[in-house]
Amino acid sequence: MDDASCQIDGIGPLPVIRPTSVVELGEQIRQAEAVFPLGGRTQLDLGYPPSRDGIALDLTRLDQIIDYPARDMTITVQAGIRLAQLQRVLAGEGQRLPLDVPRAEQATLGGVLATNTSGSRRYGAGTARDYVIGISTVNDEGQETKAGGRVVKNVAGYDLCKLHLGALGTLGVISQVTLKVRPIPEASAVLMFGCETAALPTLLEELHASQTRPICLDLLNAAAVRHAGLLQPKQAWLLVIGFEDSETAVHWQMQQLIRELTRLNVVGTEAAAGAATQPVWQSLTELTAPTGAGFSLQAGVLPSQVAEFAAFAAGLPGDPLIHAHAGNGLVRVHWLQTPDASTAVAHRETLAARAGHLTVLRCPSALKPLLPLWGTPRADAELMRQVKHALDPRGRFNPGRFLQGI
Amino acid sequence: MSVLLERLIATLGREAVLSSPAELLVYECDGYTIEKNRPDVVVFPTSTEQIVQIVRVCNELEVPFLPRGAGTSLAGGVLPVGGGVVISLARMKKIRQVDTRNRYAIVEPGVVNLSLTNYLKPHGWHFAPDPSSQGACTIGGNVATNSGGPHTLKYGVTVNHVLGVELVLPDGRVVTTGGPIEDAPGYDLTGVIVGSEGTFGIVSKIWVRLTRNPEAYRTLLGVFETVDDATNTISDLIGAGIIPAALEMLDAPILSAIEAAFHFGFPLDAGAVLIMEVDGLAAGLDADAERIEKIARRNRAREVRRANTEAERALLWKSRKQAFGAVGRLAPSYCTQDGVVPRTKLPEMLRKIQYIGERYNLKICNVFHAGDGNIHPILLFDERDADQVQRVLKASHDILDECIRLGGSVTGEHGIGVEKIDFMPKLFSPEDLAMMLRLRAAFNPYGRCSPRKMLPTAGACIEQSKVGRRAAL
Ligand SMILES: Cc1cc2nc3c(=O)[nH]c(=O)nc-3n(C[C@H](O)[C@H](O)[C@H](O)COP(=O)(O)OP(=O)(O)OC[C@H]3O[C@@H](n4cnc5c(N)ncnc54)[C@H](O)[C@@H]3O)c2cc1C
Repeated sequence: MDDASCQIDGIGPLPVIRPTSVVELGEQIRQAEAVFPLGGRTQLDLGYPPSRDGIALDLTRLDQIIDYPARDMTITVQAGIRLAQLQRVLAGEGQRLPLDVPRAEQATLGGVLATNTSGSRRYGAGTARDYVIGISTVNDEGQETKAGGRVVKNVAGYDLCKLHLGALGTLGVISQVTLKVRPIPEASAVLMFGCETAALPTLLEELHASQTRPICLDLLNAAAVRHAGLLQPKQAWLLVIGFEDSETAVHWQMQQLIRELTRLNVVGTEAAAGAATQPVWQSLTELTAPTGAGFSLQAGVLPSQVAEFAAFAAGLPGDPLIHAHAGNGLVRVHWLQTPDASTAVAHRETLAARAGHLTVLRCPSALKPLLPLWGTPRADAELMRQVKHALDPRGRFNPGRFLQGI
Repeated sequence: MSVLLERLIATLGREAVLSSPAELLVYECDGYTIEKNRPDVVVFPTSTEQIVQIVRVCNELEVPFLPRGAGTSLAGGVLPVGGGVVISLARMKKIRQVDTRNRYAIVEPGVVNLSLTNYLKPHGWHFAPDPSSQGACTIGGNVATNSGGPHTLKYGVTVNHVLGVELVLPDGRVVTTGGPIEDAPGYDLTGVIVGSEGTFGIVSKIWVRLTRNPEAYRTLLGVFETVDDATNTISDLIGAGIIPAALEMLDAPILSAIEAAFHFGFPLDAGAVLIMEVDGLAAGLDADAERIEKIARRNRAREVRRANTEAERALLWKSRKQAFGAVGRLAPSYCTQDGVVPRTKLPEMLRKIQYIGERYNLKICNVFHAGDGNIHPILLFDERDADQVQRVLKASHDILDECIRLGGSVTGEHGIGVEKIDFMPKLFSPEDLAMMLRLRAAFNPYGRCSPRKMLPTAGACIEQSKVGRRAAL
């Protein structure tokens, strides 16, 4: 990785500065026309190219653990810490942050939060929103300001933590974060089974009504299963149901789910437990941002619409990989072979018409001007712009890259 | 009749407007009774459109306005500081839609917390935030204060269960943030509206996340000789990675009051008891309960009882949730504080509370959400005695200062309101507060909505012709 400069979407090279202190970070921001924060650079292709010249601020040297009172189950760290490193520190105390992050050795916490990254465990464990209890950010004047605190329950002041999650760094640079963490569950198990398209709607309904409480309810088409290297797909779809809990609870749920599936005439389930689940979790996580995908979309629909939406997407030409967090209504569609411009535009439009929202996660730079990457403006777009203007009046943070006017 | 009153009656009809001094009396304050002020008018809209009309009238006449739910705030959240119009959401209490397949419901802001959960019972679902006041407080109020409750230890507080809101902005525009479809790209405005204590506008509709009812419970009552043993148990439980569904502590003085009211059978000679509940799938619950019992016994629990029937469990929770009501037996007045410390600091904090009680010669009892480190010391006094009132205020401040010193916060769930504004500069730097003010300005540029709440300088530019803030005592 080139230290001295970086390109975002072919724009640049932008000078890269790697502050070693928050004071230095503030200094740089104060002097810059525009700043482009960099974490592990794993998701730099998300969003539009910079609309203005500026500097790239690499946060990876701000990676210290500030305070880890493990018995309180909270940790305060600098935002440049790599996710895998954070998880190692937590694992030392039998704890974890239950967020699934692809390329975790590289990705930094700040980047994960700015993009609101989540994966398969979100069904049972939630998202970053449920774990960030305190945040410090450096504002447009170069001052570090904080919101929230270091205790798990706290309603003093506005919860600015929430605003910065998924804001793509457009409201300030995240410098420090306090997280609520969880004990690593005693046991983990997954059950996988195939089904055909016609059976999908009923099966998802039944799984929703199951007596079990999965932490993961993922749906993959055969192409995705193959790409993830999970197993040899025999049917059009694969459902992956995961449990993490006490030994007894996981055991009971696996048995119970098998009983329920037997009633539904599902055959050929594959189970993994304990250490054997690790590669499955890993594959699912990496599949959220698969290597080699040229064109990736993420749709949000109601959970009850997942079967229909996924089936439709799977029928699009170009053999797309479909990966849905079916319990949450999030469906990702990846094409390994980048379609030509007009096909890409058509794919996006046809899927957008069937979804609540649709984001282009990845596409060649050349296509970006043709695609509304962030989808149709939300009903609160105007209010978002007001918030942006209040917190970053000169538009210094990541100009051009996020929503229109932000 | 004032122009304001005339306009409001013309808009809403006479039945939806209160203005006589006698009628307004109830609206002078909320559960925080130390300060009072009378509003000019109270209105009861029944639709978003009516809220918009009220807000427009207020803006035209430059009158401040303030949303009000059930008025159970304990921080002066609905104290009409500068007079003006109180917008009561009490008549907007329809449950608009329930969709268990997609795990959400749409409710109006005046829906009472418990009535949603009761409504959902036959479906096997509930709304997880369960403040002790849930029989009275509204979901709009929960959203505005980001309420917690005994079971939010495991399930998360209100913000973790709100998917979106419809908000009437202080300028009368109506905006919808979020909704049942997750992760639409953009700022999480819903997340920051929750907990904004009515200063961002009036929440007129709410999309809430529904949670499946647990299949089973194990509810334990640990009886301890000393408060120290109880708080050490809490600290050990959390330290051992056990997250019960609820973990509540009650000390001796509150136990005697509750016992007199509910006859649950609490031991009156105990130093403290812990209500420790695990829930979820039946499988594994017994093992969890045993682990908890072991830790309690290691901390010298005299006895660990189990609620054996659903009726027993219900009575135990009723006793806990109505504990505040029972306090009335102990003294003519009381002040419930709300602070947070890191959970491992609870033993230290509780000792300090006892010390502060002795120092100011006040009786203080404790009943609180122990698993979150969220303390609720209740200071008993007689409001007719000015000296006692002074001592209560001083003791409260000492307690909150100690929370800050231990790395905690001055409010875990009741909010800043007017009560704790002076603590904001102790928790936050001027730069931190400036960012919060900037955010408020994006929503509420003229500070006309809920003036002088939450932030030290909030809405200071609004001066009413009427008397301002005055102490009730
Ligand atoms: C006995 C007792 C026990 C309690 N226990 C708990 C507990 O366990 N956990 C807890 O968190 N709290 C508790 N509380 C505090 C209080 O009940 C909560 O804060 C509750 O959420 C307030 O709801 P409400 O409808 O009474 O709101 P109100 O008191 O009427 O208002 C509270 C705040 O919300 C604003 N507001 C109300 N409705 C709206 C709206 N539609 N739009 C915008 N702003 C609005 C008001 O302006 C005000 O700032 C308790 C209070 C009492 C009296």
